[in-house]
Amino acid sequence: MRKPEKYSERYEMQSTTPQEVVRVNGLYKKYSGSSVYAVENVTFSCYEGEIVGLLGHNGAGKSTTLKCIEGMLPFSGGEIYINGHDIKKDPVKAKQSMGFVTDNHAVFIKMTGIQYLSFMADAYKVPTKRRAERLKKLEEVFCLGDAVNNLISSYSHGMRQKICMMGSLIHMPKLWIMDEPMTGLDPRTMRAVQNFMHEYVAMGNCIIFSSHALHTVARICDRVVLIRKGKQISDLNVKAMVEDPSFDFEEFFLEGEREAAEEALNDRAGLSAVQTEDDQ
Amino acid sequence: MKEKINFHLIKTLLKKQFIERTYGYKRKNFDVVGFILRLAIIAMLMTVFIIFFGRFMDIYISVKDGGAVNVPLRLGELLSIVYTIVIIFMTISAISRINHEIFNADDIKTFAAMPIGAKSLFISKLIVIYLNQLVFSAVAVLTVNITVAIHSAVSPLFFVFTVPACFVLPLITIAIGSVLALPFNLLSRFLQSKFVINFILVTAIAGGLFYLYSIILGGVKEMLLGDSLRYFFNEARMSAIAGAVSYMYPAKWFANMFTGTEYLVSGLGIVAVLAVCLVLSVVIINYILRGALQSRVAGTQRFIRRSKPLSNCKSGFFALVKKEFLLIFRTPSYMFSYFSVAVIMPLMVYFCMSISSSLVTTLVGLECNPELALFLTLLFGALTNVFCATNISRDGQMFYTVKAMPFGYKTVFFSKVFLCMLVTVVSQLATAVLLASTGYLVWYSALFIFIVGTLFGFVHVCVATRYDFNHARFSTEDDGEIKESDNVVSALIVLGLLVSVLVGGAVFVIRLIMLLFNSDFGYATYLIAGGAAVVSSVLAYLYLIGKLGKKYYEFEGGEL
Repeated sequence: MRKPEKYSERYEMQSTTPQEVVRVNGLYKKYSGSSVYAVENVTFSCYEGEIVGLLGHNGAGKSTTLKCIEGMLPFSGGEIYINGHDIKKDPVKAKQSMGFVTDNHAVFIKMTGIQYLSFMADAYKVPTKRRAERLKKLEEVFCLGDAVNNLISSYSHGMRQKICMMGSLIHMPKLWIMDEPMTGLDPRTMRAVQNFMHEYVAMGNCIIFSSHALHTVARICDRVVLIRKGKQISDLNVKAMVEDPSFDFEEFFLEGEREAAEEALNDRAGLSAVQTEDDQ
Repeated sequence: MKEKINFHLIKTLLKKQFIERTYGYKRKNFDVVGFILRLAIIAMLMTVFIIFFGRFMDIYISVKDGGAVNVPLRLGELLSIVYTIVIIFMTISAISRINHEIFNADDIKTFAAMPIGAKSLFISKLIVIYLNQLVFSAVAVLTVNITVAIHSAVSPLFFVFTVPACFVLPLITIAIGSVLALPFNLLSRFLQSKFVINFILVTAIAGGLFYLYSIILGGVKEMLLGDSLRYFFNEARMSAIAGAVSYMYPAKWFANMFTGTEYLVSGLGIVAVLAVCLVLSVVIINYILRGALQSRVAGTQRFIRRSKPLSNCKSGFFALVKKEFLLIFRTPSYMFSYFSVAVIMPLMVYFCMSISSSLVTTLVGLECNPELALFLTLLFGALTNVFCATNISRDGQMFYTVKAMPFGYKTVFFSKVFLCMLVTVVSQLATAVLLASTGYLVWYSALFIFIVGTLFGFVHVCVATRYDFNHARFSTEDDGEIKESDNVVSALIVLGLLVSVLVGGAVFVIRLIMLLFNSDFGYATYLIAGGAAVVSSVLAYLYLIGKLGKKYYEFEGGEL
C-alpha cells in the first residue's frame, strides 16, 4: 500500500520573495551550564508583507529563537540579520527597526501607561509631532481608555499585554515580534489585533510570532516555521494548506509530535538493545 | 458550617514558612558577609548599650531624692522608662510584621483560592508573628536585665520574672500592634500612590529619629566628658520624670515586678492587660485576615490619574534616567533607602560632627575638623551609595527588555551612573554647605570635602554597578522588587566602610602626627585624600567599562 503523503511534505515552502526583513542563518543557542542546545541549526527568512508563525511544543525553542532575534540573548553560532543589520555587530541599528512583545509581559510597572509609551517613543526616537497620531491609532485597536493614565502595576494581565503591544508599535517598526501575543487578551481585542496584524503587514511590514493556538496560527499566518526540540522541522506555506478543505491543522501538528515520540522510543529501544548486547 | 481548626494544616503551613525562611541560609543563597556583618552590628550595639546604659544607670540611681539616695525608686523609674521604649519598638515591629504577614504576604492570594480555613491560616500566621516578637523580646529583656543585674543588687525574683516577661511582652505588643495595623495599612495604602507626600513624610520621620539619636549620642558624650549629666537631674526634672513614669502602663507594672514593689497590684494589672490583649489580638487579627483574604481575591486598588499626552521627544539617555528615577521614587523601600537617606546624609554628618568635633578636641587636644569631616562624609556617603549595589538586579526581567531596545550598552550603564551621581552631588554639596555655614569648615576645606566626597561617590557607584552586573540576581516577585540584601550588597557595605576608614583614618593619623611634631605639612591631608580620590576614580571607571560591551552582549544571568 502506498504510504500517504505527509502534510509537511505537501506544503514545504518552495519559493522566496526578495524583500528580506529577517534572516536567521544556522542559529545555535546553548544556555550557560547546559550541555544541550536549546536551538540547533535554525534557518529561515521573513519578508515584507508576511506574517510568520513559530510553532512548537512547550520548550521547543520558540521563545529562545525569538529572544536571540530580539538581541536579548547571545547565541553560540549562526547569524541574524534584521533589515540587513547584523544583530551581533550592529545591534542598535538592528533593534531600531524592530518592536517586540515578550511572553512574560515585562514592563515598567512603576510607570503609568502614558509614561511607558513616552519612554518607548523616546527609546525609538519617534518625532514629537507623530506621537499623538500614533497613540490615537493604537488606542483604536487596543482600547485601553483612561487606564492609560494609571500606574501599570494596577493593570490586569490582559491590560499589561495591551500596553506592551502599544509600546512595541509606537515607532511603527518594520519588524514586529511577539511571543505568545494572544494570551490574556479578550476576544474583542484578539480579533482587533488579528485584523491590525493583516493591515500592518499590508503596509509592507513583517510580523513574527510564536503561539500554541493552532487555529489562530492557521488563520493569521502566511508561513509557519515548525520547531521541535530546538531543531527546525519545516518551513511551511500555511495559506496553501488552509485552502485545502481536507486539511486539519491540529492533525498536522500532532503528526509531527507522534513521529518525534516514535523516534525517541526507537532511540531508547536501540540503546537498550546495545546495552543488553554489551551486558551479555 | 462552623469552621474547625485543622492542626495538621497549621503544621503544614508552619513548615512552609520554615522552609521559606531557611531558604536564605542554604549554601548557594547564604549571604555569609551580610550574616557576619549583622551579627557583628548586633553584638556591637549590645556591647555599647550594656556599657553606656550601665554607666548611665550608675549616675541615675545615685541621684538623691530629698537628700538621700533611693535606689529601688530610681531603678523602678529607669526600668519603667526603658520598658516603655522596648514596648514602643516592639509594637512598631509588630505592626510591620502583621502587615508583612497578612497584607503583603504573597501566599495569601494563593491560600484564598485553596481549601484552607481562615482560622487555621490565622493561627499559623499568629504563631509566626509571635515567634518573631519573642526573639525581639528575649534580646531586649535579657540585655536590659543583665545590665541592671550587673550594676545594682537585685533579688532572685528579678531573675525569675525575667523569663515570663520575655513571653508576655510579645502578647501585649502584638495586641497593640494589631489594633494599629489596620489604620497603618490604610495609611500606607493611601500614601502608596502619593509618592511626594510619602517621600516627605518618610524623610521627615527618619530625620527626626536621627536627630533623637544625636541627642542620645550627645548625652553619651556628656557622660564621657564630665559630670554635667549628674547636674542635669535636678529636683524639678526628677519630679517631672516621676510624674511621667506614673502613667507608663504596662511598663510600670513590669518594673514593679522586677523591683519587688506592689507585687499583687502589678501582677493583677499584667494579667488583666494580658487577657484584654489576647482577646483583642484574636478578634482584630482574625478580622484583618478575613478582610485581607477578601481584598486579595477582589483585586487591588486602582490609581486614577490625570490624563496626560505623550511627552515631547527626549534622548534615549534621559528616557532611561527618568525610568530609573521613577522606579526608585515609586518603590517605597527603594525611595527610603536611597533618596531619603541621601537627603538625611548631610544631617547625619552634621550631627556626628557636632558631637565628635568637641570630643576629639577634648580627648586629643587638637582641632582636626577637616579630617573628621572627610571621614564622616566618606562613611555616610558609602552607606548611602550601598543602594547602587542593586543598580542592575532591581531591573529584574526588564533588564532583558532594555537589552532588546536600541540602546548602546554605555547608554544603559551611564544612565544609571548618572542618576546616582546626581544624588551624590546634591547630597555632598548639601553636606559641604552645611558644615561650612555652621563654622566647622572654612570654605576651601568644604569645597575640597565636596570634591573628594563626590569622587569617592563615583568610585562606589561604578564599582557597585559593575559588581552587581557581574553577579546580577533578579527577583522572582511579580513587581521585581528586591526585598532582601545579598552577598553583593554586604560585600559593598564592607568595602565602603573599609575605604572610609582607610582614607579617613589615614588623613586623621597623619594630621595628628603633623600637629604633634609642629610640622608645616598641613596640606598633606588634602594631597593624600585628593590623590586617593582621583586614582580610585580612574580605576573604578576602568573597572566599570572593562569588557563591558562583550559582557553585555553575552549577559544571560539573573536566572532568566
